[in-house]
Amino acid sequence: MKLIFQPMKRKINLIPIILLFFVTFSTCKKENPLPPDNDKPDSFNPTPYTLDLPFYFPTVLNIPPDNPMTIEGIELGRYLFYDGRLSGRTHPDSLMTCATCHLQEYGFSTGINHPKFTGGRPFGLTGIQTPHYTMPLVNLVFNSNGYLWNGMIHESNDFLYENNPLYHRRNIESLVWMGIVAPHEMYGNVDQTVQLIASIPMYAEKFEAAFGTPEVTYERISKAIAQFVRSLVSFDSKFDKYLRGEVQLTTQELQGFVLFTTESGADCFHCHGASQNPLWTTNLFYNNAKDSIFNDPRDRFAFTGDVMDKGAYKSPTLRNIELTGPYMHDGRFSTLEEVIDFYSEGLVFSPYANPLMHKLPDNGAQLTPNQKQALLSFLKTLTDESFTTNPAFSKPADL
Amino acid sequence: MKNIFTTAVLLSILICACKKEKPIDNNQPDTYGKIEFKFFHKVDGLPLVTDTLKYINEAGNLYEVNEIQYFISDVVLHRADGSFYNINQWQDIHYVDTDIPATQTWNVFDKIPDGNYSGISFTFGINAQKNQSFMFVNPPESFMFWPDVLGGGYHYMKLNGKWQDPQQQIRFFNFHLGIGQIYGAQDTIYVHNHFQVNLPNSAFTLADKETKTIGIIMNIENWFKSPNIYDHNFWGGDIMENQDAMQAASENGHDVFSVDFGCCNK
Ligand code: HEC
Ligand code: HEC
Repeated sequence: MKLIFQPMKRKINLIPIILLFFVTFSTCKKENPLPPDNDKPDSFNPTPYTLDLPFYFPTVLNIPPDNPMTIEGIELGRYLFYDGRLSGRTHPDSLMTCATCHLQEYGFSTGINHPKFTGGRPFGLTGIQTPHYTMPLVNLVFNSNGYLWNGMIHESNDFLYENNPLYHRRNIESLVWMGIVAPHEMYGNVDQTVQLIASIPMYAEKFEAAFGTPEVTYERISKAIAQFVRSLVSFDSKFDKYLRGEVQLTTQELQGFVLFTTESGADCFHCHGASQNPLWTTNLFYNNAKDSIFNDPRDRFAFTGDVMDKGAYKSPTLRNIELTGPYMHDGRFSTLEEVIDFYSEGLVFSPYANPLMHKLPDNGAQLTPNQKQALLSFLKTLTDESFTTNPAFSKPADL
Repeated sequence: MKNIFTTAVLLSILICACKKEKPIDNNQPDTYGKIEFKFFHKVDGLPLVTDTLKYINEAGNLYEVNEIQYFISDVVLHRADGSFYNINQWQDIHYVDTDIPATQTWNVFDKIPDGNYSGISFTFGINAQKNQSFMFVNPPESFMFWPDVLGGGYHYMKLNGKWQDPQQQIRFFNFHLGIGQIYGAQDTIYVHNHFQVNLPNSAFTLADKETKTIGIIMNIENWFKSPNIYDHNFWGGDIMENQDAMQAASENGHDVFSVDFGCCNK
């Protein structure tokens, strides 16, 4: 008998799944009061944003208490995310913003066929390449284990740039000043950006709607963009629909799923999730046995100082993986076929390889051509087209 | 909403079923204390040093441990007269992770009736009834899921490490316990490998208004010792689909844990 049984009161995160298909988040979230803002008129009342998610999604959200998500804040963030003037310049060659590198059609990654960034490797306004390849922006609101390939954007990070408490490295808000000043991105300065945005008439109204007054500040810019990035949530891939009983998978896709979730098969689930972890990542850091020599100054070790973290990077989400190549932090694989070949027969021994890579003695899972094909077709069920075409996430028409 | 009703009925039946075995009334005792568990991990009597190839198990394997993640549940405090107290007011399943210090302390929510207790027992892992997929949706517990094709629910434990094989090669072991499978001609039978641990020498007295800290130690070498000498060269690195290996490991689990009342009280 498959009885779903909740004995007594448990921790809040033990959600009973008794026929809960969709949980509305507003019910679980504590009321997040808006941050104190001295200039804020009493009438200011933005609309709280709630996420409607399937029952199997996490309920703990990484939203800083001083930046609750609101409809108006997200809308402002969407404009800024897509407005090339975030770079602080207006010359057509000097426009750059988040969407320059994070493209919706590629799951908010750069995509291997980018017309300007050859092979999907972005570079900043002065031509300096980003140290690593782009990460997709999806379901980041569920991640509390750190952002970026090495996880250095984390609640515990007490680094402050220019001693300014707004220029921290704690959460998605941080990526805004970092993007503006980084030599491999906009290579600009924050004041110039704020001035330029403040000079654009259409923004006054949007800042007022989001924050109560038309005033443009760096704090507001970063908060609005972070809210928009947190709203980028995906739960409508073919596999999600299969989990909810809306579609059936093909025999080959199911065979691939079984390979994905068995140790005797390809054993991917320990680091990349499965039905019970629909983020398709643990957001933790592993050395997945690609190399024997490690000298990247930005690996996980660079942040933690723990030698066991040499060559370790965040296990990326496999949601939309079909679209987000090239693969790995250094983009070494152009296709998913190459990635699968690597996990099948290309593993390399080093003392830092994570113990979960237990197929190492055989150099990998040693999959047959049929098994590789099955794994590939399963991975493609993780593509969420309603996410990559959702108008709420797209470039505003009037920008 | 018929399902809610059915579930409610089943729930009350189950609760009543437990009531028969004279549990101590746990609602609002007049005088009570509090309990805090602290989890420790040792090898051969000394605190575990992770990531260092220096331990030798009963089978003679040179090995290291990288991390341990596990659940204990259904903690029961027994009295000499046969009555008992179930810890279940807020949390009846606790997750421990050697990488997450916060999980290594469990401040039990329950108000525990004061008095003399003769011993402590718990389930290693999660019992068959409770071990259902999607029960945890949030990390880190959700990361413990056990694939549905292998029986679903959650890993009882992930103990990850490395050992040196006879050819002096370093190999990786994922000593993972959970629901096992016996593959028959037609059907797969799922085996629940969770087991009960009766902590030796765990009698204690709890005074009114006292908070007692109780250390629970995992003695890692015992996973590989008795009654079965567990040899990584024989069982290999992955055992989630190897019921014989998981059974051997579970049988060894009976004496892996010990209690330490002196661990942490000032
Ligand atoms: C020049 C290209 C470029 C621009 C412009 C850019 N990014 Fe990125 N983004 C990247 C790259 C490359 C990474 C991976 C960096 C790393 O970890 O080394 C990344 C990583 C991220 C991540 C981490 C994702 C994760 O899963 O941890 C976030 C969040 C992010 N960017 C947000 C933004 C925002 C917001 C903006 C606009 C303010 C922006 N990016 C502008 C290239 C860019
Ligand atoms: C030990 C944990 C671990 C296991 C097991 C594992 N991976 Fe990964 N995977 C990672 C890490 C870490 C990365 C990123 C490494 C890097 O960027 O250098 C990664 C990267 C990837 C990528 C590229 C993602 C991107 O956005 O660039 C794909 C695709 C992938 N893995 C698929 C799989 C498949 C399929 C399996 C099973 C055959 C698997 N992984 C098993 C940890 C793991």
